[in-house]
Amino acid sequence: MKLYRPGTILVGVLFVLLGGVTRLAAPDQVYDEQNIKVVHGTIGQALDYTGSGSTMKVTRIKFARSVIDSTDSDKKPLETNGIYLAIEWDAVRGAKKPDNINATLLADGGSVYEPVEGLSNSGIDFPDAGFAKTGTVVFELNPADMTGLTLKLHPTMVFNYYNSDIEVDLGIPTDAIAQQMVDTAAPQYIVEKSVTRVAS
Amino acid sequence: MESLDEVIDAMIADRVIHRHRRIWLLVIALVVVAALIILATGGWKEKKGRTVPTLTAPTTVTAGRFEFSFTKAEIVRTPKTEYDEAESKVKIYFDAKNIDTEEHHSENPRNQLLVLVPGGGAETIESDGVSCRGEINWVLVYGLPPESCSTTFKVDPDFAAKTIEVGVLGETYEAVSGVFGASDNEFWQNEAPVAVVRLDPAVVTDNGGSK
Repeated sequence: MKLYRPGTILVGVLFVLLGGVTRLAAPDQVYDEQNIKVVHGTIGQALDYTGSGSTMKVTRIKFARSVIDSTDSDKKPLETNGIYLAIEWDAVRGAKKPDNINATLLADGGSVYEPVEGLSNSGIDFPDAGFAKTGTVVFELNPADMTGLTLKLHPTMVFNYYNSDIEVDLGIPTDAIAQQMVDTAAPQYIVEKSVTRVAS
Repeated sequence: MESLDEVIDAMIADRVIHRHRRIWLLVIALVVVAALIILATGGWKEKKGRTVPTLTAPTTVTAGRFEFSFTKAEIVRTPKTEYDEAESKVKIYFDAKNIDTEEHHSENPRNQLLVLVPGGGAETIESDGVSCRGEINWVLVYGLPPESCSTTFKVDPDFAAKTIEVGVLGETYEAVSGVFGASDNEFWQNEAPVAVVRLDPAVVTDNGGSK
């Protein structure tokens, strides 16, 4: 039996070419993750979260030197060597269940901030379908790296599929504005419990 | 019906197999004898001792993306009450700083980065989570000064020691080996021992009440 018939060789060559073609089709390293669309926005804008019909809006940001849960009356406020930033948000839930939110704050200096642990009222998530929710998520920041603060909401995915991130520009374009924010920070911020209401 | 070719093939194979049989048997016998001699003389010594430095508190250890400055240790005894059994914890105090120059990422030191080394070949005990500012799993921010933190280790109720040893593990910033087709993105992983810190614990009794 002849092993290498012209047909066999042709099929092999075809596969090699096909591999090359798929490599050409992949985009250059433009995005960190190729399956993520980034939805940009600013404070006060309701931004679509992962195309699920749910929206997230940052309503207000507030800098503070200490934070305390409104529900823990016997606890002492949390102090910091840096500065706290409370981000108040408003979420409207669509019919489809949105993925869990992984919230981080990015700064121009390269810092990646995570939400503070130890505040039970701090967090960011969506309510049940048909409802809307307001709440607060608190970050501890390094005052030396606050320029260009951007809130990034990334969906938690078990498998990779086409999805989107929300990036909210928190409006601190220069070092001078960042310094002003630190100088005028409130002595204390009280983190209120999140409130769920019927979506209108 | 066997052909002449096959018969010849079989004969050749037979001779090839038997040609070096004596040498093979000799080699196997030698290996067995060598193993017996090593066994009889007590075998190889298992490597004993630690390969990381042993330091005495107060001291500062840089491990991966954190820097720990150990200050003091306590053995906290909780006496038996009507409802609870007596228990003991080893509590260590240290200043922790995030020195993640690679990612500048706010992070809490994971439980397995600090372990209690009981000694005598016993298993190490993982910490119960690092607390700073009175909050467990406090997130340390890169660029901020060190925070005063503490962590505890669960030990037997009658645990007593003049000196305790705490192992510090550090992660390295590296990518998963490309052999497995994984991405070449680097991240903090693969914690390995960096140092052992000796502390002299004071014994404290915790009678409950406000903390």
